[in-house]
Amino acid sequence: MARYLALRLIDTIPTIFLVLLLVFMAMRILPGDPAVAVLGDMATQEQLALFRERMGLNDPLWMQFIHFVGGVLTFNLGSSMTNGKDVVGLILYNLPYTIELTIVAMLMGTAVGVPVGVMAAKHRNKLPDHAARAFSLLGYAIPDFYLGALLLITFALNLGWFPTNGGGDGFIDRMYHIFLPALTLAFVKAAFIGRLTRTSLLEVLSKDFVRTARAKGAKERRILYRHGLRNALLPLTTGLGLSMLATLSGSVAIELVFNRPGIGKMLISAIAERDYAVIQGGVVVFALMVVAINLLMDLLYIVVDPRIRMA
Amino acid sequence: MQVNRRTFLGSTAAALSSLALASAFTGKAFAQGADTLRIAFSARGLRSIDPQDSVQGVDAWAIIAIHDKLVDLPRWHFPKTMDELVPRLALSWTSTPDAKKWSFKLREGVKFHKGYGEMTSEDVKYTFDRAIDPKRGNGVLAKFTNITSIDAPSPYEVTFNLKDPDPLFPLGVLSDNDGCIMSKKAVEEKGDKPIGTDPIGTGVYVCETVATDPGQGVTLTANPDYWDTKAATPKLQCLYISDTTARTLALLSGDVHMIEGVRAPGWADSMKQRDATLIFDVVSPGSFFTIQVNTTKKPFDDVRVRQALFYAIDRDEITKSLAPVSKRTYGLNPPSFPGGFTDTTVPEEIAYTYNPDKAKALLAEAGFKDGLSFKADTSQREDFQSIMLIIQDQLRRIGVDMQLNIKDHTAFHGDQYKGTNTLSQQSMALPPVPTQVLVTYLAAKEEVKSDGSGGRNMSHYGVAIPGVDDLLAKALGEADLNKRLELVQQIEVKALTDAVIFPVATNGFLIVRSPKVDLGFPVESGYVNWPLSQAKFV
Repeated sequence: MARYLALRLIDTIPTIFLVLLLVFMAMRILPGDPAVAVLGDMATQEQLALFRERMGLNDPLWMQFIHFVGGVLTFNLGSSMTNGKDVVGLILYNLPYTIELTIVAMLMGTAVGVPVGVMAAKHRNKLPDHAARAFSLLGYAIPDFYLGALLLITFALNLGWFPTNGGGDGFIDRMYHIFLPALTLAFVKAAFIGRLTRTSLLEVLSKDFVRTARAKGAKERRILYRHGLRNALLPLTTGLGLSMLATLSGSVAIELVFNRPGIGKMLISAIAERDYAVIQGGVVVFALMVVAINLLMDLLYIVVDPRIRMA
Repeated sequence: MQVNRRTFLGSTAAALSSLALASAFTGKAFAQGADTLRIAFSARGLRSIDPQDSVQGVDAWAIIAIHDKLVDLPRWHFPKTMDELVPRLALSWTSTPDAKKWSFKLREGVKFHKGYGEMTSEDVKYTFDRAIDPKRGNGVLAKFTNITSIDAPSPYEVTFNLKDPDPLFPLGVLSDNDGCIMSKKAVEEKGDKPIGTDPIGTGVYVCETVATDPGQGVTLTANPDYWDTKAATPKLQCLYISDTTARTLALLSGDVHMIEGVRAPGWADSMKQRDATLIFDVVSPGSFFTIQVNTTKKPFDDVRVRQALFYAIDRDEITKSLAPVSKRTYGLNPPSFPGGFTDTTVPEEIAYTYNPDKAKALLAEAGFKDGLSFKADTSQREDFQSIMLIIQDQLRRIGVDMQLNIKDHTAFHGDQYKGTNTLSQQSMALPPVPTQVLVTYLAAKEEVKSDGSGGRNMSHYGVAIPGVDDLLAKALGEADLNKRLELVQQIEVKALTDAVIFPVATNGFLIVRSPKVDLGFPVESGYVNWPLSQAKFV
């Protein structure tokens, strides 16, 4: 297991390097001068030149890139160009909010999606199945930022049941603040997971061993869950992994709509202000989170499928 | 314990129900204490509370609460005469006849926060020495370039030596937030950059915390030892909520008491429909929205084509669309500035009263009887986009097809500062120094350069076509205020007759507040930040 993990980690190094290179180049290609973005329209040419010199923006690109990669390897991502704050500190502050939003949304989405998918598969082509498919369609059709705004207006503004913005302090308060944003993301996830569960389960239920189990007189519930769902878990795990990645990227818009702290919101601000240090640091973190999620999924496969364990 | 499907589903349902119930019973975690006035701005976060480092306008609200200036505006409007200026840390001032040396007597016994001692001339000298230091690399240096040196002949006297005469000197940088007085001891002790998030001033509020989360922003506590009238509200919190929906909802839900409004058509009306009790404060002039025509791009090298554009733009329609934020301006200096033209004083030849027939006639004279087509960039920011889309429609009426390319705001300015735009747009808030807008946009030495190293003269005035540099030099060298203002008006008439720059509107700063908040004074004109020391809940 340890060897497997180590090999998987080594495999990710070229990917992360490529991500670093792409984000570095993208920032340099993006129009807009970070010096003007930071110092403002009234800055003199001398002040702008001084800023560029201090930030190393006049160095050759290869030197800037080496500096950047060196910083990543030593966990020194520099300081924000706009407010001087330590980038690692900014990430450490914002990352937990993004992680908790992603996890809670996934849990909510899975908790709803899997039962909906099972119900749809069990009552194929009957009313529950049609209802589940309509629910899936709705989940796919509504943009998450729009749904978020609707939920905000209805439950936070009009009914006053939830806060309109912020991340909260303390566990209960944070869960209170996270409910609506997580629900927004979970709605879309539930639609996807429900559909995936239905499809996977139906495929498994059409297999020969299920027919054999029925012929042997096994109860329908046992067939559905012990034989059906258990075997449908493998493609479902893949789907959950993809869904988690999508939730992570979806958290950007939700953090903006709900004015929650988070890596996504931090990145959007940094891009608008051409804050290279924060952008680069934020993208590195995102890349690492994607790698971590993929690793987690690989580990889950091992848990879910004994055949992989034996191999 | 072995977890089966039933247990898993049951636990999940129980957990979600508990969360929902907990939400219902814990009530609003964001309930406001009546001792904290919360104001939310459209920004992604705090940049700096260092008066000389902040180029983000909304930071000034915290800056002026924590610091004091030598002089201030009467609450709250630009003064009609210099006598209206309010003494603050300076008790009185005099100048030499050539207006190149200004001496200020300082108030005694004013204390900096957190035990940093009494404010003296040493702190004032340090503040402005720091402001004019080219090695600091701050973005506001350009505002202080006329100051050559500062002397502190005694603990409560300070003298400013200027390069050029400035009869309005106290009204310029000294009354703006960039002129806030800092503690020399605090800056040296805390460090040049850290002072930006741990500021020390003499102001009515003391900085308590600067949160990492922009949604929590800056929290200030009333200064119990303040030398003037103490704050009416114990705490002030400046938040940063960039998303318009989130900010609007924060106000409507009672999360915050005041918000920065949106400068887009119809927004104010929709807010009034939602809650008719909301109060709208607009300070003008705010930002000057101007368009400069690139005279190096054909056919805009022809003055008739440029003038045709100006006659085709209906500025009343624009200001009506963006009301109450947008107001008419008739010259480059707005009506509330010294020397600014008003609707009754603007000369007819530069009034450019909306006249599409005259516009068409000018185009025909220039050889464009069937109209013309050109490309221009604008920014996605709401005020830029709104105005340019209206202008696009107005130009279409005279057969001019302006193909607008809407860009990200930073990219838009980045490209524009390389002189790529045909109709460059600027929206800049400037102090009531009438020569400043002229120097910024009309001086030949401020010509935009293709490598981005130039200034903000996007029309290439004075380089591609003869400009007003000789008049500008005369105005800047004139010590007599009235004569200076006459020269300023001459410059405006020339530049507007040459049609290189068009003053579209002034877009004031809009703050929407809950009816529960009384500011303590009416807001008319002034800088785009006003003191909240007397704001209280009613």
